[in-house]
Amino acid sequence: MRPRQTLIERFSTFLQFEADHFQNWVIEPQLRRSIRNCRDQLPETEVSENYWALYWHKVWQVQPDSLAREHLAAYVQEVCYWVAQKTTESFAMTQYGLADCFQMAIARLDRVLKGFNPDLGGNFKNYASATLGSLIRESLRQRREIDICSDWALLRKLSQKRLTEAFQNEGLSNSTIASYLLAWQCFKTLYAPKKATGTRKLPKPDPQTWAAITQLYNRERHAQLDFESPSANPDQIEKWMERCARAARTYLYPNFVSINTPKSDQDSGDFLDNLPDSTQTSLLNQMIDVEEARTRETQKEQLSSVLSEAIVQLNPQAQTILQLYYQARLTQQQIADQMSIKQYTVSRRLVKVRETLLRKVAEWSQKTLHISPSSDVLKYTGPILEEWLEAYYGRHEPLSPENVSAE
Amino acid sequence: MPSNSVIFDPTQINLDIDSTLQTQAWRQSQSLSTPSSRWNGYLNLLCLNTILPWLREDYDPQIEPALSASSLLSIWEIVNGVPITLGSNRLILIPTESIDLDEIRIPQEWVDIPAWIGDYYVFVQVNPDDGWVRIAGFTCHRRLKQEGRYDWRDRTYSLDDSDWIADLNVLWVSRQLHPEEATRTAVPTLDALSLAQANNLIQRLGDPTTPNPRLSLPFHQWGALVSHGGWRQRLAESRWGWQVQGTVLQWLQTGVTNFAEQIGWGRMEFQPGLSAARGDEEPTTAIALSRQLRIAGQPYELRIRPLDGDNGRAWRFELQNLTPGGLIPAGFVLRLLTEDLQPFEGNEDTADRAVEQLYIEVALDPGEGIVWEIEPIPNQYDQEILRF
Repeated sequence: MRPRQTLIERFSTFLQFEADHFQNWVIEPQLRRSIRNCRDQLPETEVSENYWALYWHKVWQVQPDSLAREHLAAYVQEVCYWVAQKTTESFAMTQYGLADCFQMAIARLDRVLKGFNPDLGGNFKNYASATLGSLIRESLRQRREIDICSDWALLRKLSQKRLTEAFQNEGLSNSTIASYLLAWQCFKTLYAPKKATGTRKLPKPDPQTWAAITQLYNRERHAQLDFESPSANPDQIEKWMERCARAARTYLYPNFVSINTPKSDQDSGDFLDNLPDSTQTSLLNQMIDVEEARTRETQKEQLSSVLSEAIVQLNPQAQTILQLYYQARLTQQQIADQMSIKQYTVSRRLVKVRETLLRKVAEWSQKTLHISPSSDVLKYTGPILEEWLEAYYGRHEPLSPENVSAE
Repeated sequence: MPSNSVIFDPTQINLDIDSTLQTQAWRQSQSLSTPSSRWNGYLNLLCLNTILPWLREDYDPQIEPALSASSLLSIWEIVNGVPITLGSNRLILIPTESIDLDEIRIPQEWVDIPAWIGDYYVFVQVNPDDGWVRIAGFTCHRRLKQEGRYDWRDRTYSLDDSDWIADLNVLWVSRQLHPEEATRTAVPTLDALSLAQANNLIQRLGDPTTPNPRLSLPFHQWGALVSHGGWRQRLAESRWGWQVQGTVLQWLQTGVTNFAEQIGWGRMEFQPGLSAARGDEEPTTAIALSRQLRIAGQPYELRIRPLDGDNGRAWRFELQNLTPGGLIPAGFVLRLLTEDLQPFEGNEDTADRAVEQLYIEVALDPGEGIVWEIEPIPNQYDQEILRF
């Protein structure tokens, strides 16, 4: 992949795949105009790309439907590519290529936008990278699971939201969707696994069960559907359920092109091209405010020393696990093997260590920044902690596992 | 297949389900009435019995289910979810078998029945095939009421994955460092049902061929019915096809039923009026029904005995401390209510100073139901109807 060179490119171009390989960067003219405009408003200061990302993120918070989202979508393209590549390499899964993984990640951009808090001085790219990585892994896990489920098992293992979106994706009408969902609810109410395991192989219901499902549907439709709907017969209900399963499977592979381009028609001017000038100017000024930047740097350093100190105070086993995990980059299973403990012990210890560190950060920000450690604040602190751990251990030489003494 | 650790988000906890425990959970859930309720009970048991040992070991050894095992079964007969007690907080585990976590649906019962509300709701993905559970995240009641979308069709509040907090550490740390954070929002109380209404509903919904009792009547009625532990139990028992539980007098005469025994009731012989028996007369033994309770960390005993032999009209309820020499602290209240939870004259005894015993003597009609209450609330307390 050819990395993008200029700031303007980074916030206005989208990656194109040819088969499973990088092809080129495609410029989005509206975005290019927009970023140029903004840049021209700034004095001749050198502003880092992270500051631009933070700026667009702030704009996105004020105006979720503005071009800001698209600028950020353009910006994460590279990160997304590298994360996708790393994941495909480490998984060696033949059925999903680089482009698939890229697509899984970019489709969840809103998760990154919603989860990031620019006020805490984090690095947007790092945050995006970590979040997209876990989103890809989660998608892969889901796909693997869905691929090995029978249709009937799958129907019991889908969220209503996912199923509804799958129907919308197929362009079904609202009333059809409502009928299908009701039938699906009836199916789930009356058909459950009858064995403790092996639920993925759930067989097709017997005719009696189909009859009962149909009966329930025909009774419930009067109360549950807010339109006149004809009664259904068991064959129909069965077909509907097959259709549900098919829609859910198809929905896993959304059309690639539709996702990696800005949401609406480029020329229609649907986007709010710009924020009111005053808002924009104040956000821009805030961004390059030297004073604020300096304060932020100081805070970052303080936080870093608080955490380094906390790590030294951890017990030796916890320190070893952190080293093996973040520095030697072993999986939890590999750590377990090396330390002769169970994998779930590693997972639990890691979670416990993070709790200790999260508490340190919370106490520090309560004392120094007078930020009360509410769950709303802490929810954004976790990812910053993660980012810090990555950076802290990343500074050291990549460690070969043998050099870490298992306590 | 890659191991869980590779594929899961490292900040989230995933726990292996013990295989013995899995077999046990399956067996226990088979007493429920329909394939769906059995499956629901099974998932909830897997979730509870896997998570509880971990919480006890890593966080707080005192953590326990908010209800006894038998009360929980009657909950799972009708709805998904497990309440557990965490210090002064109540936490509701919501298991899901969904592969995707695009949303979680929380049954309205846990959100809008005042006595059922939790401070926190913890979402748990359960995979019985591969034998693991994963903590997907949590929210609190306040946020759930704010951000959850209510769906009248299945009576749930649904939350999108971006609206809950994935990292459970946030719960522990905020609870410790920011305990003043409001976790709950007030909800309107539910109008009480009369005994006749309740009997009627239990008869109608107690038929196991009614597939989804929770959706078969308006929520305010349903909520009022099942928030009464005794009525919920009667409803579940009816769906399970159980014999009527029998009266306290029958329990005393012919033995306590299995179910009553599971809750903790047993027959005991004792000598009434020990102090009077110091004389020359041979002390007479009497028989009583007793049940041990844990209140504010101390063991107590609730005793029920007939005052007029086999006549079965006059009864005495007694509460005493089981610790040798232990008293009942000031402020404790023992209270009796009618089956539909109405007070009556002389229905309570309050300790205005530390006393040896709290007691109430009542005359009851044959077949009358009584619900006992104690303040402070005993561990795992659930209203139960004692039939006389």
